[in-house]
Amino acid sequence: MKQNALEVKDLTVTYPEYANNAIENVTFSVEEGTMAALIGPNGSGKTSIIRSILGLIDYKGEIKVFGKPVHEARHTIGYVPQRFSFDPTFPVTVFEFISMVLSENTKKKHLISETLDYVEGTDLVGRKLSSLSGGQLQRVLLARALVKKPSLLLLDEPEAGVDIGGEQTFYDLMEKLVKDEKITALIASHELDIVYAYAQKAICVNKKMLCSGVPKEVLNQETFLELYGRGLKFFGHTGHHHS
Amino acid sequence: MQEIIGSLQYPFVQRALLGGILVAVLTSWMGILVVLRQSSFFGDAIAHSSLMGIALGLLLGINPIAVAAIYAIFVSFLLPFLRKHSHLPQDSLLGFILPFSMGLGVILLALIPGYQPELISFLFGSILAIGWGDIAITAILALVTFLVMFILRGKLTFASFDSEYAKVTGIKVSMIDTIYHVLLAVTVVAGIRLVGIILVNALLVIPASTVRLFARSLKDMFIFTPILAIIIMIVGLLASFTFDIPSGPTIAVTSGLLFLITLVFTKFK
Repeated sequence: MKQNALEVKDLTVTYPEYANNAIENVTFSVEEGTMAALIGPNGSGKTSIIRSILGLIDYKGEIKVFGKPVHEARHTIGYVPQRFSFDPTFPVTVFEFISMVLSENTKKKHLISETLDYVEGTDLVGRKLSSLSGGQLQRVLLARALVKKPSLLLLDEPEAGVDIGGEQTFYDLMEKLVKDEKITALIASHELDIVYAYAQKAICVNKKMLCSGVPKEVLNQETFLELYGRGLKFFGHTGHHHS
Repeated sequence: MQEIIGSLQYPFVQRALLGGILVAVLTSWMGILVVLRQSSFFGDAIAHSSLMGIALGLLLGINPIAVAAIYAIFVSFLLPFLRKHSHLPQDSLLGFILPFSMGLGVILLALIPGYQPELISFLFGSILAIGWGDIAITAILALVTFLVMFILRGKLTFASFDSEYAKVTGIKVSMIDTIYHVLLAVTVVAGIRLVGIILVNALLVIPASTVRLFARSLKDMFIFTPILAIIIMIVGLLASFTFDIPSGPTIAVTSGLLFLITLVFTKFK
């Protein structure tokens, strides 16, 4: 039986500015070497869960990564943020952008070109961030998350600002990472078709835990009604067949 | 031209140029981080707040620049403390600190009997009256700032560019922020003696903003910003000597004109 890469138990987040809890007693786990999707409407607490795991906000509850308390295992986590927490128009090249996360004495050139090769962004290395398309920037963000060779990857709505073709390329890449590199991925997403096609597990939250399981089993009209307050139609797959 | 070359033989011109170049290099390095963090209002608020320190120094008969430096460093610690406890955005807090400190400074100055000729020099700078002692202090500040910036260059840049991700990678961002604020406070006060409270922000923000218009990388920013700041300082000072106009405002106008010219050539061509 596979080990759990991520275990979240009774996670509760309260922001001092707001009276109500952002999330309450959320519990789920993600098995090593799988892709799990975190789904829920805007404001449901997906980002709060990811930010808790990353140690960016205070929380109550227990988070374990590969069996260790999360604060001892943060070096094993890579992160692709939802919105840019930086100014992408500032003159910074892709090489400089990725090298910021590496320490001064790392052999940066080789490591960065190897990572960019993997995300099919070899030719982007000298480009300015501001000259990249949404899809290219998303791959660069993924390369930055991968350059320190993480075992667990957290992605917060990575499809935002990427066109449909770019979205599929990105998730194909994610699938390759999970299969070939044995990376575990937790992806907060709005794209239910993508979740259905690529994820082995769906975790549904709307401030509290609503479902957890194989997407085609748990993503039903009843869940959508609870999640979004209405039933949803979706195509089930995007031409990609998940085995 | 001959007049300009001739003026270089005067010791006060030499001192002004040397001090000016030191301040230009110092403020331009910090300016890159200021522009990166979009925190030019912080530099402005520190500069204006330091009037309180200057006034206190003048009132007590202590070196006003030293008191201003201590007060500026105090403000740089006060700001994160207030942010943590008030949950208010930084610019709201600066909007409180700036008028409060400046108001206190003016009230303290009113308590000093007689006319205060020094006040004008602190407001608009007195680069032509700069002595070797001022140059020595500026050189020491520049050296210390450069050393700290060089040692922490990776972390300072990363925390300034993307503080959230820097935190994720384990960098103690709040500590780096404090170091940045102290360095900025020191830099601003070092610049006040030469270009004054009102114009020091021009040296912090304009060279880095100008280079940003054409730079292709962060490396370009760190190479060209100090070069441009030195050019601005030399052109501004020589124009000031030649046309007998105040040095601080001439430097500010020179930097503003260079920014406009660069803007036209890079964005409207």
